[in-house]
Amino acid sequence: MIHVKELKKTFGVEHALKGIDFEVDKGEVFGLLGPSGSGKTTTIKLLTGEFKSSGGNIEVNGTTDKHFKKTSYVKHLGILSDKTSLYDRLTVGDNLELYRKLYNAPKNVVDEVLGKVGLLEEKGKRVSKLSKGMKQRVMLCKAVLHKPDVLFLDEPTSALDPTTTEKIHEMLEELKNDGTTIMLTTHNMDEATRLCDKVAFLYEGVIKETGSPEDLRHRYKRNEVHLTYEDGGIRTVGRDVENQGLLKEALFDTSVIDIRTDFPTLGEVFKKVTGKELV
Amino acid sequence: MNITRVAAIFEKDFKEFMRNMMLFTSVLIPVVLAAFFGRMDGGEGGVPDEIVIIIVGVVFSAVTFSSMMTMMAEENEKDTLRGLLQSPASIIDIIAGKSAVITLMTIISLVASIMLVEADGFWSMENIAGLILLGIFFLNLGIGIGLLVKSVATTSVYLIPIMFLFGFTPYIEFLVTDEGHIARQIAECFPLYQNLYILNGDGGAAEYLILLAWVAVSFGIVIWAFNRRKSDD
Ligand SMILES: Nc1ncnc2c1ncn2[C@@H]1O[C@H](COP(=O)(O)OP(=O)(O)O)[C@@H](O)[C@H]1O
Ligand SMILES: [Mg+2]
Repeated sequence: MIHVKELKKTFGVEHALKGIDFEVDKGEVFGLLGPSGSGKTTTIKLLTGEFKSSGGNIEVNGTTDKHFKKTSYVKHLGILSDKTSLYDRLTVGDNLELYRKLYNAPKNVVDEVLGKVGLLEEKGKRVSKLSKGMKQRVMLCKAVLHKPDVLFLDEPTSALDPTTTEKIHEMLEELKNDGTTIMLTTHNMDEATRLCDKVAFLYEGVIKETGSPEDLRHRYKRNEVHLTYEDGGIRTVGRDVENQGLLKEALFDTSVIDIRTDFPTLGEVFKKVTGKELV
Repeated sequence: MNITRVAAIFEKDFKEFMRNMMLFTSVLIPVVLAAFFGRMDGGEGGVPDEIVIIIVGVVFSAVTFSSMMTMMAEENEKDTLRGLLQSPASIIDIIAGKSAVITLMTIISLVASIMLVEADGFWSMENIAGLILLGIFFLNLGIGIGLLVKSVATTSVYLIPIMFLFGFTPYIEFLVTDEGHIARQIAECFPLYQNLYILNGDGGAAEYLILLAWVAVSFGIVIWAFNRRKSDD
């Protein structure tokens, strides 16, 4: 569905993307993870035709980037940008009606999507009266009301309250079950672990690692066991034959209060790969 | 251009216009001005053509030009334009929808203002033809500058000079009384003077040609603005 090869983007002398490659299959949820300034938004903008690339190839939904400005390409995309774009003076319903008409979508979709994000009762409210979380949900409605084949989401849940985040996650899971291909950027590792079939770690314009969250966690686990003692002491022991006795003993040693294998979270994997905390 | 999409933009911009105090009051300004001048008159000759044409200039600069520029600037500033451009709507659809709203508001403001001053022959075919050309000129100025202005706050930088140069042109007769003065000769080539001559009944082919030339210039500005915007990406 999405094929990216050797993709580069420079702004003047700055190399924002230094040649990245990735593939996203139809119906997959792909997460581009990286700290602020790593090039996530730039990648999304290249894939949605807002920026022109400085090199490399992109193909999305059977269209190459030469034709990204065409209506025939755009109408099958759903985009949730990093900046909000709703008309404050208009109601939630008016905003969504505008986009429903622009996409020539059926009449009932507005109520349908608003119901899914729990905002049907706010339909008659002006956007200026909504909370940030509500606005973001309306933005998501705007991005999906025409049932796009590919959905691009730039940090869909950053700086949102837990309720909104949960509603957004539920909606994305539903879209995924309906077969929508989703590409999202985030620096929330729990979000990536929950939603993504595949992730790529973007760091300083380079993809450092890619794979499913589970694969990556397995790939970067260490064959070690951490033993925590009553007195606060921690001992790390390799899981090999010569430590067999010691490990067995530890199981029955009451002064050992915690035994933990080294199965890293996705965030810990990111740190191992890039040497940077993902925030 | 796609009619369904233009209609959707029209509907959205119409609602926005009605709920935006700044834009909405701009429609009333020429009407208030006309009411004021309409009362001042009293003679049987009605209001002088110079005053009528200045009211016309205020309609086109405060409603047509200013509203177009402000609406575009606001879409830029609030990133709503980006949202529209990510949809199947093209920039042409967007401008066409907005232009339709602005044209409607211009007509409302113009008709209401002219009703309040007695202007003989204002609705003649000759005069209407001249007004259409003048309207296109101001609309294009609004589109061109609107494409480049990034915030509503900076629109005022353009509003004042455009209004004085093109909206109040005959006012120069009060400032420069010497008829042969170079400033007055230049002013007489400005678009609003052509409309004044047409309204006076002195208009011939030359006036329409000069207006057409200004319209051509305004299209040039729109095309230039488009290209500048493109190279910004
Ligand atoms: N329009 C632009 N002009 C110049 N530099 C830009 C532009 N957009 C992004 N950049 C630069 O490209 C780099 C990547 O930015 P971005 O893609 O926004 O990162 P992220 O979304 O991961 O935070 C940054 O160093 C940023 O300064
Ligand atoms: Mg970003």
